Amino acid sequence: MRVCARLNRVKGFQRGVLATMPLGLGILAFGLLYGMVARQIGLSPVETLGMSLIVHAGSSQFVALGMWGVASAGAIVLTTLVVNLRHLLMGASIAPYLQGLSHSHKALLALWMSDESYALAMAEYEQGQVSPGYFLGANVGVCLFWWAGGWLGGLLGVAIPDPAEYGLDLVFPLAFLGLLTAFLKDRHHVVVALLSGALAVLGALLLPGKWYVILAGLAGSAVGLLLEKVWRR
Amino acid sequence: MRNWLIFLGMGLVTFLTRYTMIALLGRDLPPLLQRWLRYVPAAVLAALVAPAALAPHGRVQLGAEAWAVAAGALVAWRTRSVLWTIVGGLAAFWLLRILGVTVGV
Repeated sequence: MRVCARLNRVKGFQRGVLATMPLGLGILAFGLLYGMVARQIGLSPVETLGMSLIVHAGSSQFVALGMWGVASAGAIVLTTLVVNLRHLLMGASIAPYLQGLSHSHKALLALWMSDESYALAMAEYEQGQVSPGYFLGANVGVCLFWWAGGWLGGLLGVAIPDPAEYGLDLVFPLAFLGLLTAFLKDRHHVVVALLSGALAVLGALLLPGKWYVILAGLAGSAVGLLLEKVWRR
Repeated sequence: MRNWLIFLGMGLVTFLTRYTMIALLGRDLPPLLQRWLRYVPAAVLAALVAPAALAPHGRVQLGAEAWAVAAGALVAWRTRSVLWTIVGGLAAFWLLRILGVTVGV
């Protein structure tokens, strides 16, 4: 039995890593861009890789680079915290699926959680497959692409074309869109998604940073609860 | 040395945002909170998609990004596959670029 459980975990891990492959090109491209920008603002190749290894949070790394040299260390750390606050919401929604795991396993799964691996794992859980190995595999897959891209970009330190020019920034919303379908089980969820999308656009225009994800995530999901009261499935 | 201390600070707060809720929310969640959390993934994912499609450069515009994501939505609906959604959306984006539809700046 124990061997069987272990094997399932390894298989889950492999499937999790494989699931990140479609995202690979996008993550690599932005990793390269990160590495290049990091060198431009004066980080050494080792520091460029070091930041990715220690922080591994793409958006906040880009924001930090933009503040480097002009803002205080405290301001950079505080901004990182604010940019990543959305992970509180994601953590809360994935937490029920991680019940029963030890604290060290929970910490390991939290360490490398990204928007992308969260979405992959939640879609997997939604389909009733319970495998922490898959979540870990998705975390590791995303990280490996991010580290490899940043390392290469830092090493080369040369200008690469803007990934957005080739639509590579679209890889991420497209992946989230593909995963979103797993959650549109009934009309409540469809309304929640439409409303959250609209709110997010408004929030992105009016609020700084990533606050729009938190705003739309909180308000949109609360509307789902309200809908249950007034509108049966 | 200062740089590495900043990295460590950034890494620490990042870990805290990811770990706090996973550590705190245990077995006995109130049913209301459980039901609320079940709507979070749909809300968060939609929030990550919509601005990238409709306001990719800080203002609302129906450019190549919007149409590419619309094409991706069609593929996602038909296939439910992440890979094909990405392939379909990017193919639409490149086609629109070749046809000269502007990418907002």
